[in-house]
Amino acid sequence: MSQTLYNFKRIHPVPTSSDFVDIVLSRTQRKTPTVVHPGYSIGRIRQFYMRKVKYTQETFEEKLGLIISDFPQLDSVHPFYADLMNVLYDKDHYKLALGQINTAKNLITNVGKDYVRLLKFGDSLYRCKQLKKAAMGRMATIMKRQKDSLGYLEQVRMHLSRLPSIDTNTRTLLICGYPNVGKSSFMNKVTRADVEVQPYAFTTKSLFVGHMDYKYLRWQVLDTPGILDHELEERNTIEMQSITALAHLRAAVLFFIDLSEQCGYSIETQLSLFNSIKPLFGNRPTLLIMSKSDAKQLEDLPEETQNMIKEIENSGAAKLSRLSSYLDTGVMETRNMACELLLQYRVDTKLKGSKIKENLNKINLSMPKKRDSVQRPSFIPEAVIGKQRYDMNDPNRRILERDIEAMSGGAGEIDEDEERIIKLAKSIRTKKQILAQQSRLKNNVNRPKVTNKIRATKLTAQNFADKLANKDNLDTINNTASNLLSTSAKRKRSLSVANKGLGDELARMGTNSGAQFEQRAVSVSRSRVDAGLKNSSMLDTVMKKHAKVQRKSNLLAKRGESDRQILTKMPKHLFSGKRGNGSNDYR
Amino acid sequence: MPQNEYIEKSIKQHGRRLDHDERKRKREARQVHKDSQFAQKIHGLKAKIHNKKRHSEKIQMKKTIKMHEEKNANQKTGDAVPEGAVPAYLLDREGQQRAKILSNMIKQKRKEKAGKWDVPLPKVRGIAEDETFRVIKTGKRKSKSWKRMVTKATFIGEGFTRKPPKYERFIRPMALRYKKANVTHPELKATFQLPIISVKKNPQSPMYTQLGVLTKGTIIEVNVSELGLVTTGGKVVWGKYAQITNNPENDGCINAVLLV
Ligand SMILES: Nc1nc2c(ncn2[C@@H]2O[C@H](COP(=O)(O)OP(=O)(O)OP(=O)(O)O)[C@@H](O)[C@H]2O)c(=O)[nH]1
Ligand SMILES: [Mg+2]
Repeated sequence: MSQTLYNFKRIHPVPTSSDFVDIVLSRTQRKTPTVVHPGYSIGRIRQFYMRKVKYTQETFEEKLGLIISDFPQLDSVHPFYADLMNVLYDKDHYKLALGQINTAKNLITNVGKDYVRLLKFGDSLYRCKQLKKAAMGRMATIMKRQKDSLGYLEQVRMHLSRLPSIDTNTRTLLICGYPNVGKSSFMNKVTRADVEVQPYAFTTKSLFVGHMDYKYLRWQVLDTPGILDHELEERNTIEMQSITALAHLRAAVLFFIDLSEQCGYSIETQLSLFNSIKPLFGNRPTLLIMSKSDAKQLEDLPEETQNMIKEIENSGAAKLSRLSSYLDTGVMETRNMACELLLQYRVDTKLKGSKIKENLNKINLSMPKKRDSVQRPSFIPEAVIGKQRYDMNDPNRRILERDIEAMSGGAGEIDEDEERIIKLAKSIRTKKQILAQQSRLKNNVNRPKVTNKIRATKLTAQNFADKLANKDNLDTINNTASNLLSTSAKRKRSLSVANKGLGDELARMGTNSGAQFEQRAVSVSRSRVDAGLKNSSMLDTVMKKHAKVQRKSNLLAKRGESDRQILTKMPKHLFSGKRGNGSNDYR
Repeated sequence: MPQNEYIEKSIKQHGRRLDHDERKRKREARQVHKDSQFAQKIHGLKAKIHNKKRHSEKIQMKKTIKMHEEKNANQKTGDAVPEGAVPAYLLDREGQQRAKILSNMIKQKRKEKAGKWDVPLPKVRGIAEDETFRVIKTGKRKSKSWKRMVTKATFIGEGFTRKPPKYERFIRPMALRYKKANVTHPELKATFQLPIISVKKNPQSPMYTQLGVLTKGTIIEVNVSELGLVTTGGKVVWGKYAQITNNPENDGCINAVLLV
């Protein structure tokens, strides 16, 4: 189920029509060039004014488009909100206003287009300017006619943004009943909504939402205005809000009746209301709640009335419950009962729905049978079984370096056996290096290509670690490492910085071959002077010969092959044909 | 009070601050001075707009004040001249009234004398040909210049078909063609958008008339069947003349006055 939460607070404010024109025109003034002279070429003048007209038109379109897209479409919102908006703002009026805005937008588009077309024939600055003025004037006139629509939409926006945000899909308790029967009092008891309670009818005039927790779930409680028992057509806006909520929300319905008749309506009328709006409840869980039980109980009523109420219960239309908000009796019981009923109802409807089959197919509870009688316990190594879990407070725990330090007198106090500590530090550092190398090899996504020769030696982090541990092998490691670094150019670049550190570290560890790792951090291309030459003596001869050849032309200051030169100033193939001179390099 | 009206709720629960009314009164009293400061400070276009707004506001204000005053003022008795025998010193008043009628009659006569072609715009500015026509160069080397484009608004009748472009001397661009005019009825003081039937006469030159050029002062024939005018004979009038009162090429529309 898609959870669509409507956020009507996001709608941008709708300016009045005169403000609208001011906003757009001043924006045009700010965002388009302002200086033009009659001496400019006519094309430039036309372009200047066309831009103004076009920009104004676009700004109007943008702003009007924003209004149209911001306001919710009655056909696409949840029917509850659609009906509520119909009740509060009148659907026809709302659609008409949005429709008019849309027409205005189209008209402005057409005016803009027309005048840009006319501007193409403008032959003087004066004429262009007049046309621009006429265009903007006509757009402004169109906007001026939208005065009423814009005013109405702004009112709707303000009201809409203050509407309580009702989630149409969650678990909801819906409180309804005659006016003054104690609906809001109950609401205040179960939630923190703080609804007004007064001893007269129609205290609550709009929908109120409160939230509560039950069984670690979030619940929504909806307090509605009171409804009287008459025809749907006679109902006013206040009552219609309740009816809308009753008609569209999948909620548990709590119908309140006041047995004490302190509300000013007899029990008979209240029950007849229940019967007349019963069709609206459908098969949703319904509770008939007798409020103000401190004032009068069901048992105190005359026999006939008691029978009427009992009949409703027996017919299965509703469950009975009683509560008193004054004495705080039955409030929680009623709430829990309603919540339970609704939860059950929701599960039932889900099971009845068509979608459930798809999901039920996916659920499989497997109950594996025993294959044979062989025991297959989980494997725990011997060494581990013997080990004890380290515990700070255990006197027989393993002795750590930290404990030794503490024993010898706190942080930094290493007196005895300095040699051991240094060795330990070294081993820790080596371990660290190995780990770093390991992760680097792992993380290197575009791993450099390693030549076959090296791959044969299988230089992995594990190997590297093994060899580091074995001091005799250090020389070979250095060799292979340097091999590895020099053979693959890519690797040389990516790892050079790190290698430098590594080299230092190795040097410090006592191997003098660290110098081999001294690489430059920045990549440098190889000099090509000695390319293809066997040795340095060959290079010398080549250089000498080169100098000798150049000596004469250098003396005469002649043009050499490295000097910049333009052989043909206007190549024929680029400058012939009908097109503008030299505008294209293909013909 | 709806649920989210927190400002009103707060006011209802806790009231306003104690000096709220005092502050409000003072703010209102200061507003006049603030407005005046503002009016003195602004300049340029904003000043123009502001002054215009203020001007209309003031007129409105004066009107309302006057209306209130009228209620209080003693109204003069309407017609002081008694009926029946009139004393000599009152005779001249009647004479005055008669004089008024006379002068009206004279005006009417003069109007009639002036002839049928007395139009709202008797004189128009001359328009040179090179203002109306733009020369279009043709030929492979763009050396020929016999073709013209009309840069004024034009009316082109229903059944017009273009000549082959090679022989077409005058081009009348689609963008500048008009089919409708906003015609004002001078007596009804109402404006209607009516379809143009034809161009009767362009005062500039007969050639313009032929081409259907619409400039200020041009007489056009409009279709008034929408207005439901009836001749003395009882027939519905559908074609009537009107004179163009604006420069269509500058305004992008055609405004005209019906000749009645
Ligand atoms: N004796 C008694 N009075 C109660 C109880 N609950 C509410 N009332 C009184 O009933 C009156 C109306 O209570 P509300 O909660 O405003 O009733 P409502 O149904 O919300 O009324 P509307 O919003 O006007 O429809 C108030 O004067 C409360 O004090 C109760 O349990 N016992
Ligand atoms: Mg209430």
